[in-house]
Formats: sequence, C-alpha cells, structure tokens
Amino acid sequence: MHKTDNPVDIFREIVGDAHVVADPDKLKPLTVDGVIPGLMVSPGTIAETSRVMAAAHGLGLAVLPTGSGTKMTLGGIPKRADVLLSTKRMNGYADYDIANLTIEVECGATVHEVQAKLGAEGEGYFLPLDPPHSQGATIGGVVATNSNGPRRLLYGGLRDIILGNTAVLANGDIVHAGGKVMKNVASYDLTKLLIGSLGALGLICRTTFRIYLKPEAAATLFLSFANLKEAETFFHKVIPSFYYPAALELMNAQTVAACQGTVPLSGAYVVAVGLEGIVEAVERQIADMTEMGRTAGALGTFSLKGDGHRGFWVAYGDFTDELIKSHPDLIVLKSNFAISRQTQVMEAAAQAVKKAGGECALACHAGSGILTTAILTGGEAGVKKEAIVKLIEEMTGEAVKNDGNLIVEKAPRFIKEKVSVWGKIGADISLARGLKEQFDPTGIINPGRYVGGI
Amino acid sequence: MEKEKIINELEKIVGKDDVLTSEMELQIYGYDASLIKGKPDFVVIPESAAEVSQIARFAHQNQILLIARGAGTSLSGGPVPNQGGIVMLMTRMNRILEIDLENQRVVVEPGAITLDIKTEVAKLGYLYQPDPASEKATTIGGNLAENSGGPLCFKYGVTSNHVLGAEVVLADGQIITIGGKSLDNPGFDLLGVITGSEGTLAIATKIILRIMPKNEAVKTLLAIFNTVEDGANTVSGIVKAGMVPATLEMMDNLAINAVEAFYKIGLPIDAAAMLLIELDGLQDGLGRLAEHVVAICKANNVRDVKLAKTAAERDQLWMARKGAFGATGRLRPNYLVNDGTVPRTKLPETLRRVGEIGKKYDVQIANVFHAGDGNLHPLVLFDERDKDELARVHKAAFEIMQLCIEMGGTITGEHGIGVEKLAALNLQFCSEDLAALANVKKTFDPDGILNPGKLNLIASEACGAKEIAYA
Repeated sequence: MHKTDNPVDIFREIVGDAHVVADPDKLKPLTVDGVIPGLMVSPGTIAETSRVMAAAHGLGLAVLPTGSGTKMTLGGIPKRADVLLSTKRMNGYADYDIANLTIEVECGATVHEVQAKLGAEGEGYFLPLDPPHSQGATIGGVVATNSNGPRRLLYGGLRDIILGNTAVLANGDIVHAGGKVMKNVASYDLTKLLIGSLGALGLICRTTFRIYLKPEAAATLFLSFANLKEAETFFHKVIPSFYYPAALELMNAQTVAACQGTVPLSGAYVVAVGLEGIVEAVERQIADMTEMGRTAGALGTFSLKGDGHRGFWVAYGDFTDELIKSHPDLIVLKSNFAISRQTQVMEAAAQAVKKAGGECALACHAGSGILTTAILTGGEAGVKKEAIVKLIEEMTGEAVKNDGNLIVEKAPRFIKEKVSVWGKIGADISLARGLKEQFDPTGIINPGRYVGGI
Repeated sequence: MEKEKIINELEKIVGKDDVLTSEMELQIYGYDASLIKGKPDFVVIPESAAEVSQIARFAHQNQILLIARGAGTSLSGGPVPNQGGIVMLMTRMNRILEIDLENQRVVVEPGAITLDIKTEVAKLGYLYQPDPASEKATTIGGNLAENSGGPLCFKYGVTSNHVLGAEVVLADGQIITIGGKSLDNPGFDLLGVITGSEGTLAIATKIILRIMPKNEAVKTLLAIFNTVEDGANTVSGIVKAGMVPATLEMMDNLAINAVEAFYKIGLPIDAAAMLLIELDGLQDGLGRLAEHVVAICKANNVRDVKLAKTAAERDQLWMARKGAFGATGRLRPNYLVNDGTVPRTKLPETLRRVGEIGKKYDVQIANVFHAGDGNLHPLVLFDERDKDELARVHKAAFEIMQLCIEMGGTITGEHGIGVEKLAALNLQFCSEDLAALANVKKTFDPDGILNPGKLNLIASEACGAKEIAYA
C-alpha cells in the first residue's frame, strides 16, 4: 500500500517526482474541451502504467491517456479529467524482428520515428501506415483512434495490419491479445476490440505490426478535373480494374492550397493516385491511368517521383494542421460511406457547408469511402453556431444514407455540446455499454468521451 | 421444460418438418470433422433471421443450450453439442442476397457455401479471397465463427479481414446490425470480436463481405527439395526479397507420398519437401519476379522447379496441395490435425522438433502447411481403435502446441480452440488475459447459452504469456 493518500505523492512514488506535473499553469494549456486536467503523470514502463492505473482505480480518479495530443479534440466532452496519462516516455520496442517482418512498438513512439528507424534498416523497411499529423501521431494514439491514411487502399487499415495489442485495464491488469503471427484464432480477438476504442476498455501500451520491405518503385499521378462528374468517371474506371493503386485521393481546391505547394496541378478538383510496387507495374499504371484520366476529361495530368512524391503525401496528411495555423477554430469531420458514393457525399458536403455560409477543404480516400471535411469558418465569429449544428446533422444523415456514419474529429466545445460527435448511435450501443461495464466498471478511462457518452 | 413441450414450441416457430428428433438425426448432428463427439437433444432448421431470433429467445427464456451449426467441417469440435441442447442448422439460409459490384461487397446468408460465393462473384470478374481447404462444403457462417484462413492469407488476410458487416442474433433473441458496407464505422469493433468467437457470442444471419477485382495475371510455381531446410530457406529468401506471394504452401515427404499414391501426378516420392508458390498482380514484371523466385529456389539447392504455363497446368499443381489432407487421410483410419502457428523464421526449427515429437511418441506425422504465414498443419496419423496409440497422439498434439508457444506463436492459427484445445488455452494466456476474455463472454451471453463448453474461460495460475525484456 502507499504511504500516503495524496494522489500527487502516490503518483510521484510510482513514476518519480520529475514525471508528475501538478502546476496549474503547466496544466492549463493541456485543457481537453475546456476541462483542465488535475495532474499529468508520465509512466516510463508498462509496469509503471499498471501501477498508475491501479492507483487511479483505487482513488476513483478519471484517467485521460494522451500522446502528442494530436487527437485530443476527438470524442465527447470529458466528464472529468483528474489525470492526464502521458504515454510519451514509453517509446521503445518490445520486439524487433525484421526477418519475420513484425515489430512490437510501445504506444508513445511516433509513427515518424518508427518509419525513420525501419527505413534505415538493411534495404529499407516501412510500416504500412500513413495517418494524418505526420510528425506528432503516436502509435498508441493512432491505434486508439483507428487513424488510417490513404495507403490503406493497398495495405489495409489498422485492423488488417495489427497482429497484437497489450493493454493495461482500468484495474491495472496487463492483458496480452494476439501475438506476432498472422493467423491466430485462440479465443476472442481482443486485438481488434481495442483498435479504435479510444482506450475506453484499457490503455493500449504495445502494438505488434506487420512491416514490409520498401517497394522497388513509387510515384504519384496527379489529374485535375473541372468537376466532380469527370472525377467520378475516372474512379469508376480505376476502382473495378485490376490495377492496384496504393492510394486514390480526391481533393478540392482549398485542400490543394493547404498542401503547401506540393501539388503540381491546379483545378477545381485534383485526384492524386499513389502507386507502389515493382517498376514495370508502376510505369504501366502511370501510362494507363493517364490515358484513362484524359478519356474521363482530365484537364491536366502530372506524375512525380522521389522527393516530390514523398513531400506531397506528407503535406496531404498534414493539411488540417496547416489550416489550423490560420484557422484555430477549424472544424474537422470524418464521414465514411460505401465507396461508390465518393463524389455524391463530397458534393453534398460542399453544398451543406456553402448553405451554412462557410468554406471547406475536402479530402477523400476515394477508394476506401472516407471523406475529411475541414470547415474553415468555424468558431463563434464566423458562421453561426446553429448553422454548424444543422450542417453536421445534415452531413451525418447523408453518410448514414450511404451506409456509413460521421465523426466530429475537431470542434469547439459549444458545438460539441449540441451534436452527436460519434454520429448516429446504433442498436449495438447496449453491447458497447456492457463491455465498458465489464472492463471498466467504475468508468475511470476517458469518461464521457467515447461513443454514446461511455 | 418437458421434451415434448420443447419440441412443440420449436415446431410452432419453424414448422413440424424442420424439427428433427429421431435418434439417427440426432447422431448425425453430433460431430464435426474432428474426433470430438456429442449429441444434441433437438435439431432445428430455421429459414430466416426472424426464426433464428425466435429460437434464440425461446432458448434464452427457458435456459436451453443453443448451438449454431453450418456444414460441420470444423476441425476442433466447434459445433459439437457436447453438453446437449438445440443444434440450429443454418444450411437452409444459403442465399446470396446481393452482389454489389460498385461497392465491392456481397451480402450473403450464413448457410451459403464458401465456394458457391466465390464461383458466383468469379463469373463477374471478382474474387472473394479467403479459401479454406474445406471451401467446397464449408459455410460462410462457419468461416465467420471460426475466422477461417487458407493458403491465400499471407497476402490477403483471414476471413476477419473480409467481413465488414453482419446482422446478428444475440443470445436473448435481439436482432442487430453491426458494421456495414463502409469501412471505419465508429464504436468498438464488435464484428472483429464476433468473428472467430466460435458461435459463443452471437449468431450471424446476414454477412457483408469484401470482394476484389480479379488480378490480371497469376504465376504458379512448384519446387521440389531434397531437404525441408532448403524449402524453408527458399520461403525466407522469397520474403526477404520483398515479394508478397499470394501463396507459399509446403508439404513434406509423407504428404507428398500420400498425394502421389492417390493422384499419380508424377511427384518424386523420395523428395523431402514440395513448395507451391503463387504470385499475382499485373502481368508487367511478373515474369521477372517468377524468374527471381526460380533463382532463389536454385540458390537453395532446388531439385526441380516448374512454372505452370497454362491454367490446366496450374490446376494440376494446386491439386497436389488441395488434395493433401484427403490423400494423407487414406494412409491410416484417422488423423488429428494440429494448426499451431509460429513466426515464419522459426519454421525450420519447429519442423525439426515436430519430427522429434513424432519419434518420441511413436506416431506418424505428415506436414502440410502455409509456410508464408508460419501456420503449421502437422497431421498426426493413427487408428482410434488402438487406445494406446490414441493416447500417444493426444500427448504428441499437446506437445506440438507447447512447442508453438515456445517459438513465440499460437496454439491455433485457423481451426479454433473448440473442444479440442481447451486444455491448451492456459499455455497461451495468463489469468489476467483469461479474465479479460471472459468479460467479453459475460457481456454477450451472461447465461452461457450459446455454444457452451467451447472457449471455457476459467482462470488458472499457469501463464504462458511472458513479459518481454527490452531490446
């Protein structure tokens, strides 16, 4: 037992004095939806994390896990935020097996750091993962928020590339799910259950991923279109074909502008096709898709390799960060839908934002059915709150109509108070509540932030 | 409740003809493709989600055990009613409801046969990728329950990677929809946890699957080796070169002999290992990759390597692999198939030690396995009438599972825990893990009505999962 019942002392005893922040001035900038954390605790190991959780559990303190903080805008307004648990000190490798093409990484490592390490290994390896926020995104944050990127089209999403997760539950139990093999059906797939769970069932401390050798060749083909109809014609040729683009993206002019000059074409809409694989296949796809684009009515086409190609994908992944610099009140929405509806959902988003009196940057994973809508004139000063609320409701309806749903990834608190940030809540919510009840009966992890206010 | 009354109630739901109660019928639905046997008290055949829901509600209200069953091809005792109860046969709900090409999805009923789904979408130029060896008979609902694999998993993943939505009936009879045609639906990945849950959490009544356009080109190669190590090193060489073949399948000498004795396709019966390799993609550059594979085979002392030039030749190369279980089964009256999975780099050592285990227990073991993903299939051959041999078989099987855990793998890659591997759960999970798994069961089916006696999650002091030291 602890010698004291003062939380600050208890946590200091576990992680060391240097790793507990209790100074209100330092905690204020870490506010989550207006809720100021009571403390920040940074455990250095999974064993310390287990003890921190167990102590918080014993004291009845609410714990909000955080990495670089790039996704702290996601989710409902926290009911409490007693302890902000920073994962940043846990950034090593629990297993590093290049020959087996698997690595087990701790949650606080950034995707960027992992890619740099793998890239320098032998002939160069990589994690098939390209989430937004290229510099900050941590492994734990990406897994907890199911944050995928454009290249999921070829490599699969997180639920396809993750082989195992180790989590610390609310009571401090360390639980291992999955492993380092590609096939594993020993009991329930807790690995998948934890992906996208916002840590609501347990803090995700380590994740095992498949990795790949870097492809022989990589390039980006850009095509500009005057209208969505023509872009759609192009997609309808490419998507059912035997070509295998690594990414198939559709941007409007505002998104192109937010890509920091990395897009070599301009136009009302620009399509970016990521191509990876063996040299012959990449070259053939550039040639054939250029032709397909022209037939569909493309105004211009351009292909990039090397630094230009790489630079675009980084800038594209960071386009909302770029916009936030000039629009701190940016509202970011993510719609998912059946893939054939990509232009329809995008058009509806553009119209809805226009009707609300705003402007938006749109970026769509056209082959995967995911649209990011970044509304530029959010905030109290610009578009009226009521209009934004109505717009989010309309867009949620549109996504649901197309077999999907909508998540508010970032919005000011006064908007969050008025909308369902996790979109339409389905009949499976009772099972979700049941799981939360079993795994975290006193509701100490991220209270109020997950689907249905769990 | 009395037996007659239960029959009466079930007949009210599905009609008189669809409740089976004769001794012979009960025997038929008491086993699967494993050695496990049981006997249901009733067999009921629903035709709709509404009927499934009513049966589940009735079973729940009266606390009668309920076991959903497809074609019964499970190799682990998954659908065996070893505690009695109602077996619910899903095979009549076998329609393909929708083929949605523009969204690359199909919507099917759980009783649809996997190969039928593949055949229907293939006519339209699409593939449903998972290809369990039992695909001719197995149902998609069974594949979902067991999270089935197959030879193509190295590149395309297992069933779970292709199931995107489902309508399921919960233990209390409630019908709900989870996931859908789109990716990334918000909320816990309930579909991920139901897939592979062996029918212990929910019963699928409608399943949404991902389909993909067919590849432009395929190259199939067959390589023969004089040692298992050469074969395994070839696999490592191919993967190290950055290639992701759709298939990397291996068979050992005993399996080669069994196949040749039955199919007479000209396999050398003194060869130690046979490797089937398939590359797919665009035709551009694929020939170069195939040549690279041949070069890697040669660098690893290949005895003979053949590239299929026609579709007929490709089918013949595949026949050797697809017929392997059946042909090996002819060698002795019974076989037990293990399916532990190890990290690919541990394959040579694991295979060597599987051979030693066979010698130790004086049992014959044939190996037919998915080399790309490290999924072993040691077939332990025996005659179940020989009780002494049967006991040795079980000991050998258990030791192979222990070996897989020691190598950093899992006790089951694609066949499931079922009844067969219950005793081995403790090898892989410590008590905290088992308690967390039990939380899932408690949430979905607190009364333990659905497929009882499988995945028994009883905490134990034994702990196989170890903390790994930092590198």
